[in-house]
Amino acid sequence: MKTKLTGFLLTAALIWAGGCNQKQLKKPASTGDDKPAAAAAMSEDHVRQMAQVFAQEFAAELKRQNVTVANGGTGQTVPVVPTPPVGRAVTLNSAPDVMEFYEANPDGFTVAQPGDLPSGLEWVTGAELEEFASPEAKRGGTFMEYTSDYPRTLRFVGPDANGAFRSYMLDYNAVYLVMPHPNGDGYYPGLAKEWAYGPDGRTVFFRIDPDARYSDGKPLKVTDFFFGLYMMRSKHIQAPWYNDYFSDEKFENVTIYDEQTLSIRFYKAKPDVIEKIAGLRPVPEHFYGELDEQYVEDFQFKFEPTLGAYEVKTDNVKSGESVTLTRVPGWWADKKRFFRNRFNPDAIKVTVVREPAKVFELFLKGDLDWHGLALPEYWYEKLPDDHELVKNGHVEKIQFHNDVPRPTWAVRLNSNHPVLSNQDIRVGMNYALNFSAVIEKCFRNDYERMRTVADGYGPRSHPNLKARAFSVEKAKEQFAKAGYTELGPDGILRTPAGKRLSFVFTTPYKRLDEAGVMTVLKEEAKKAGVELQVEVMERTAAWKKISEKKHEMMLGALNTSVEMYPRFWEPYHSDNAYKEDKADRYDANGKLKLGLTPKPVTNSFTLMADHEIDGLIERYRESEDLKEITQLSHTLIQKIHDHGAYVPGWVRPWYRVGQWRWVKYPKDYNVRESREPFEFHIHWIDSDEKARTLKAMEDGKASGAASIRVFDKYKLD
Amino acid sequence: MIEDNTSTASPARPIWEVVVWVLVGLIVGFAFGGLLGGLLGGLYGQFFLTTAETGAGFINGVKQGFLYVGAAGALLGGGCCATLRFNPQTLRKLKRFYGIKRGYWSLILLAGAFSISLLGQFFVNNRALVVVHEGQTYFPALPFAASHTGLDFGILTDAEGQEYSYEVNYRELKAQFQSTGKGTVVMPLVPYSPEETRRIGDGTQHPSPPNFEARHFLGTDPIGQDIFARLFYGFRITLIFALMFTLVVYLIGVVIGCLMGYYGSWVDLLGQRAVEVWQNIPFLYMVIIAVAAISDLPFKLPAWFKILVLLIIMVLFSWTSMTYYMRTSILREKSRDYVAAAQMLGASTPRIIFNHLLPNTISTIVTFMPFTVATAIISITALDYLGFGLPSGTPSWGRMLQQGVANLHAPWIVLSAFTAMVMVLTLVTFIGEAVREAFDPKKFTTYE
Repeated sequence: MKTKLTGFLLTAALIWAGGCNQKQLKKPASTGDDKPAAAAAMSEDHVRQMAQVFAQEFAAELKRQNVTVANGGTGQTVPVVPTPPVGRAVTLNSAPDVMEFYEANPDGFTVAQPGDLPSGLEWVTGAELEEFASPEAKRGGTFMEYTSDYPRTLRFVGPDANGAFRSYMLDYNAVYLVMPHPNGDGYYPGLAKEWAYGPDGRTVFFRIDPDARYSDGKPLKVTDFFFGLYMMRSKHIQAPWYNDYFSDEKFENVTIYDEQTLSIRFYKAKPDVIEKIAGLRPVPEHFYGELDEQYVEDFQFKFEPTLGAYEVKTDNVKSGESVTLTRVPGWWADKKRFFRNRFNPDAIKVTVVREPAKVFELFLKGDLDWHGLALPEYWYEKLPDDHELVKNGHVEKIQFHNDVPRPTWAVRLNSNHPVLSNQDIRVGMNYALNFSAVIEKCFRNDYERMRTVADGYGPRSHPNLKARAFSVEKAKEQFAKAGYTELGPDGILRTPAGKRLSFVFTTPYKRLDEAGVMTVLKEEAKKAGVELQVEVMERTAAWKKISEKKHEMMLGALNTSVEMYPRFWEPYHSDNAYKEDKADRYDANGKLKLGLTPKPVTNSFTLMADHEIDGLIERYRESEDLKEITQLSHTLIQKIHDHGAYVPGWVRPWYRVGQWRWVKYPKDYNVRESREPFEFHIHWIDSDEKARTLKAMEDGKASGAASIRVFDKYKLD
Repeated sequence: MIEDNTSTASPARPIWEVVVWVLVGLIVGFAFGGLLGGLLGGLYGQFFLTTAETGAGFINGVKQGFLYVGAAGALLGGGCCATLRFNPQTLRKLKRFYGIKRGYWSLILLAGAFSISLLGQFFVNNRALVVVHEGQTYFPALPFAASHTGLDFGILTDAEGQEYSYEVNYRELKAQFQSTGKGTVVMPLVPYSPEETRRIGDGTQHPSPPNFEARHFLGTDPIGQDIFARLFYGFRITLIFALMFTLVVYLIGVVIGCLMGYYGSWVDLLGQRAVEVWQNIPFLYMVIIAVAAISDLPFKLPAWFKILVLLIIMVLFSWTSMTYYMRTSILREKSRDYVAAAQMLGASTPRIIFNHLLPNTISTIVTFMPFTVATAIISITALDYLGFGLPSGTPSWGRMLQQGVANLHAPWIVLSAFTAMVMVLTLVTFIGEAVREAFDPKKFTTYE
């Protein structure tokens, strides 16, 4: 659920260029707890408006597809006979500070009686969905993983809690009320056994599973959801982003009906409201009691009892070296339909290895079970098809086409720059940046050219528009229009007055530079008469420069989340480009005024400000009609293409891994929405196979036929 | 000891002495002339030149001031030094150095390689030395030569069908001329420039092993850049950097050390405390801060300017250790009789320090010098390795080492960089040993 949660904001993504380490794809989350860029960019108002648009559009979409809608909800439509209230009434019995907190907000926390449950609720269970784990899975073994940084805390929230290790403890481990099915639409039951939508479309009722139990053996209590909000709103966790996200403005009310029944009311009837609501994680009240300012320190290395399959025991924390997660004995969800055959290894050992080269060597030795092969140098040279380990079948090479929105690798031109403010120059730059050469030279044609500013949004994406292909002739034609007519003795275009066509080209991704991306772009741009001064900066410094809008042009990516619509307001509306009031941005003819102040810490890296585009975006956000929205989306994509400040780069529509023979997987390898190979825990370790393979290695024999497999079930055309 | 470096020209003056003095004069003159010119030129350019771009005046000023005043300084220095003579002591030391063959030949080798690298564009370059086409002769490899497009040679489109209105690829031009007979192209020995990426074979790029036919003598790196070209230009930058670094560090360190040692008392006390404070500023953080700061400037900086800034930062944090050695040497020397004698004769303080004391502590300076050069080479390589060194794209040994370690399956990368590094450091060390041996004061002076 965190994927959606973080993706909810377009966070400045700290992602390697399809790094050698698949894990790092996830790292966008580690921009920090408070996510300054996104938080500032996404006003409350905007969220409300977007929500409305989404809700209406979603309903229309469902109608179009002839799906019956249950109370403005999603596609779960298998009605179950209404169940009478279960269990006894609940009385609150929390620590004084916690009680005080609940009492201070009587509208937010309601303790009702079992009889108060509205009648006529249609309870659903997600039973019609298919399981996605393999019945062949075997339990046992230890899955060997690594992390490049020793986790700085075992807390789930608070300072440093957003590191890469969090995914092991929480994101890929936690069980929520309901969870989105990773192979398509619908939700499968987690902590909730069944659920029902309220008539207002923004309240969801849940019956929690009476079996649910924390790793310390204590049962899940319905009041833990109250406590979850208490914690998320507490100042003591030092996590303003969470304080804001779980504020009473968004999570308006939680009502407890009986020991197993509760309802949660969200502030808007979004189409995916249940997903937002289920993001509220119950927190074991018995573990914390109440929170004080010591929380961050006291719980730095204390693992909160989990409802998930794996826990971190104190004995298994080797400071600075490794952390081992072990399977909770007699895990409550072991036999549940969507959890059986998952979380198979008995333990996951996460060793700290800082040097990427060493990580790979450890993998080749069999000390690590898998290694990402996204980078061409790994796939082709470091682990080629004729590598001993591959040839002898010890290690499998796998390429899996997933189907998720991709990070937007693109060059963004600062249209506030005196030269780049000229549209002819910007369009010229589109012709001058040779991404097909980059894809060929640096990525060996493994990647694809991104087409527009909003790819991968189904019908909302532009049907036929493509990025401008490299052309010396067209680029020079555009530059000549802007007055750069002479070719200097250095091969760079200049104006008759001697002003050279030269830009500082910033990137925070050292890895891209090492892969030659910057060099190739620079070399090719020179053919078109443009000088690019490559500036590869240390990551924090670079993002600072970019978010202060001091760059001239930058290469980078923003992470995206699974959504029905592209977002235009955040990156392309002048609200996010300039500080001045809207009325002061344009003159009477709708032309952008000069000398405006760029607005820092927004995602508008292009500083796009166009009167017409502004108007279209505003209409787009207000529109309630699917047809109109689709049309507006196409128009906007076209307009932004014409504007030229966004030069689409590349997309990588798959992930690639090398894994040892003993790591087994279902027949389709993984689920559609997986971003990393092991995030859904549907793989398993075959310990006998491991022993056989190691023996065969020792004897210098093959352990089977070479296996180099491509899974393209979810590949798009 | 008797001082005698006044130029009472004697007819038996050997030619090598003149050569050495002229060289010394050229280098020192260029270095100081260049620094002074750069500074003045920068100021002039900033305030008096009108240019189309912000900051261009400053940059141009620095560049031209550095070159012109540097050249003038070199001429002046060379001229002045041509008449100078070594004092008999130094002469004996130099002869002794000549006698230590290992050090001597190391010096010759290194100096030879360095001289060649200064003329590098005639040996390693993707621009042709000579092109003859339709009765016209071009020399594209010359510095400041204008670039010629494919259209200039009658080629309308490049291999990918793009308009050939950019600098022609002279290797392709050569191949074309060979088949059509429309002209002649003479390429340098290694026809690649260090920043040029190449397509190989099937169009994919990968590190390719040494290939003499394609004149990739040391192979290519993962993006198809020629390793020999990168090594060669990396050597030039590294060595220029190291020499300038050493020169400036010694100038500052020696002057401050001498003053502390000679004046003693509170100058010494305060000076030393100041040095201690200065030494405790963490160098790496300063580099990081400076790198961040210069990229925040409102105008563009060319790569060489960033290298200059890096040099200045490194100097700022490296001069301190030299002061200690100089201070102790001077403290020891100043109590000797010849100093007292000079004082009695009314010699001025600078004269005593620079004419009397300094030559007697020369062995300290000279002994440390090669090791400082070696340290500078290692530092710049290390900084590069960490990503705070030379700007992106500049051929550098640090980056090559890093690339090599990351691509151990292509051993020619790491082997080339490593071997080159070891060779240069070995040569420098041999020179250093010989110099120390030759200048060892115990050979010539006995103290009671």
